[in-house]
Amino acid sequence: MQEPLRVVHYVNQFFGGIGGEEAANAEVSVVAGAVGSGRALQQALGDLGTVVNTIICGDNYANDRFEEARVAIETQLRSLQPEILIAGPAFGSGRYGASCTQACKIAAEMGLAALTGMHPENPGVTRALPDVYIVPTGETSAEMQQALAGMTRLAVKLGRGETLGPAAHEGYLPRGIRRLYDRQELGYKRALSMLVRKLKGEPFVTEVPIHEPERVLPAKPMADLAGAKIAIVTTGGLVRKGNPDRQVAANATRYYRHSVLELRSLSGSDWEAYHAGYFNHIVNSNPNYILPLNFLRDLQDAGVIDDVYEWIYALPGVSTPVAISQQMGQTIAKDLQDAQVTGCLLVST
Amino acid sequence: MVSAIYNLALTTGANRVIRGARIEHVCGDPNLGPDKDYAFGMHIVRTALDAMCTAVTGPTLFDPLEQAAALEVAHAT
Amino acid sequence: MRLEMGTFPVEHISFASPTRYADGHLYVDKARVIAAVRQDPRIASADLDLALPGESVRIWPVRDVIEPRIKVDGPGVIYPGACGRSITTVGAGRTHRLSGMGIVEVSSVNWHDAGGDYVEICLDMTGHWAEMLPYGKLNNLCLVVEPDPGLGNEAQNDAVHKAALVVNDQVAAATKELTPPQLEVYELTDVDPALPKIIYIWCVHSPQAMSGSPTAFCTMTYGLTQLTPPWFLHPNEILDGALSGPYRTAFAMSWTVVNNPVMMELYHRHGVDWNFLGVITLRTEWTTQHEKQLMANQTAKLSKHLGAQGAIVTWDAGGNEFIEVVRTIQACEQRGIKTVFLTSEDDATEAAPTMLEPLPEADAIVSTSFFKTHTLEVATLPPVDRVIGATQKAIGPLRDELVPTAGPLPPPPRFDDHYGFGSLSCIEY
Repeated sequence: MQEPLRVVHYVNQFFGGIGGEEAANAEVSVVAGAVGSGRALQQALGDLGTVVNTIICGDNYANDRFEEARVAIETQLRSLQPEILIAGPAFGSGRYGASCTQACKIAAEMGLAALTGMHPENPGVTRALPDVYIVPTGETSAEMQQALAGMTRLAVKLGRGETLGPAAHEGYLPRGIRRLYDRQELGYKRALSMLVRKLKGEPFVTEVPIHEPERVLPAKPMADLAGAKIAIVTTGGLVRKGNPDRQVAANATRYYRHSVLELRSLSGSDWEAYHAGYFNHIVNSNPNYILPLNFLRDLQDAGVIDDVYEWIYALPGVSTPVAISQQMGQTIAKDLQDAQVTGCLLVST
Repeated sequence: MVSAIYNLALTTGANRVIRGARIEHVCGDPNLGPDKDYAFGMHIVRTALDAMCTAVTGPTLFDPLEQAAALEVAHAT
Repeated sequence: MRLEMGTFPVEHISFASPTRYADGHLYVDKARVIAAVRQDPRIASADLDLALPGESVRIWPVRDVIEPRIKVDGPGVIYPGACGRSITTVGAGRTHRLSGMGIVEVSSVNWHDAGGDYVEICLDMTGHWAEMLPYGKLNNLCLVVEPDPGLGNEAQNDAVHKAALVVNDQVAAATKELTPPQLEVYELTDVDPALPKIIYIWCVHSPQAMSGSPTAFCTMTYGLTQLTPPWFLHPNEILDGALSGPYRTAFAMSWTVVNNPVMMELYHRHGVDWNFLGVITLRTEWTTQHEKQLMANQTAKLSKHLGAQGAIVTWDAGGNEFIEVVRTIQACEQRGIKTVFLTSEDDATEAAPTMLEPLPEADAIVSTSFFKTHTLEVATLPPVDRVIGATQKAIGPLRDELVPTAGPLPPPPRFDDHYGFGSLSCIEY
């Protein structure tokens, strides 16, 4: 007979019983045992877990003062050391969903098991990928019982250190982590069966869930074009003629940077394209098509911009794993920031 | 970001996207002959610089061809 | 269009005179077949060899695997339009096929010389690579052929593929006067109007963009490889090889096209589970947004006009070609045509998305697992006793390292089960 798991429950001001919208700015506080909706959670857990503490955090505080909230939550978790953190369920509330996701991410970073629940269309879901386990729930707390049943079942497994199987089998939202899997039935049969179900209006489950891409906050516009230093980056596979750096034509693991300090234009006698995803010959005659140096130099001469950054960055953007692209982007961005580049022109083929 | 297949850039979240000519020659068009090719390429680059000076709230397309049309209209009136 | 297909199963192949088929045994008159190939003055050397299931043998470089077929009645020739053959519309009358075997086109000729596309596939007859592909179970008649090196690349491609078709004609002719052990009738008969109408949107790579040429060699539609607007084909035309020739992946061979299980299943259950309307082939790798969207719009329009209520969509490429495919899916869905997309997946390292453009309309996807052998962690190909073709193979990201073909070898870069032959897939955590 296993000991009941030490559970910490994370809730917002409303489900923590300290107030409604007016209490949304409440900072992080901790109480002993289960409060508010935590009592229903305790019931759902039965003997398998004990809600030893509840962390309450106002929705506004969690979203608007997230750096402070993060520190406070981390401090609490560090001292409470739950075997499992259960956040929410947040149902359809966007602010609460984001808050729960954040709490679970913090726990995960500390190596603590964590789980939350919310409606699949809650904006908190996108931000959760790929680290946070989310059990799908209905839109409102009218479905609290079902939500808690699903959440406690998985929470107990996670709390006991068990590895969870695929999302569809275990009942959590797919987190974007894809692994090889033999579905036993041949692909063409599965495809036609899915089509028949779709045509009949019967439920079907896609084998590849589409996840919304991350939204990046746009950089502020350049205030002064005439004073701007512009950098150029290309994924067109620009290399020095003869490819002395031995850059690959696809599946790049790195970029190369080249100095254009003395260069006014790219010439086909000194540069070429080596990229396995498009016809390279046109760029070989005029490499400025994928790295428009000559235009920027002419604009520099005319005083429209101040300068072109000394270093240009090049790689072949074909079959590049996304993870590697992200690393390259971050490194290049840091270089440009350190060099106080005002704007960056990225040319893609 | 300058790309001939600009919708992909917009869908995946690039915030300032400039329509390029064609994958094989993004900033210009060799079929136009040297002078018009240069003018076209310069127009694409200038559209990109204008985009960098423009505030946007999310993925936005800047189409050099539309800009040119707008300029023509302005000159005509 | 009514087509009778007579199947002659091949269980053994051996070299003997004359070329004939009897009781599952194909006898090939080697000298005569080679002489027929060498009638083309563009051919510098030609030889035939056998690679049978279970043998410790590796074939490299593999350009195509062709199922021997021949028209015995009705208009046109099999694999019409390819390499100068008649372009008369096919799909009616009677065709004979030799199942359980392939003609393997083995040659050093590359697809085109503009860079980026290289012949990648080697075939094993035993071991894990053999098990992953359908060809390991076929009795393979290998044509090792080289053209006059003075010819331009397109002429070289034409010459060696034509040679493989000559072998096809020679070998398949053995069945011309015979009664097939199995006979099936293929006809899109009138069916219960309540059955859902399904179109098969078959996206095929065009080499035009990568090569810079509208006549570069690749998978052909009646001999054409160029970027063309969506083209309606009756499935009988495809059974007669109207869509033929290789692209560059293991599952994009002439053999997999005529044996496409998606098309065959659509045909076999026509009138039972659905009304199979036919095939629309969409060429991919247009190089502007407008062209890609135009193809998507027109394919959806054509599908709608044909009465499609549902569409199954496959493709045979990668990279930016995904865009016209997913935009076609989007355009179909927007016109009320329900789609299912059968596709492989790209690299998933660190929870990266495996589909290039995440459009919400692509809500019904069946995955045939990762297409890169690297992501699939396919093991090194073991050493073999015998090699058919070139004894050395170039490997490495810059293709500048020569190693013995006999192995051990890294596997070819792509697996890519375009038509769902297997059950390998991916699942999400």
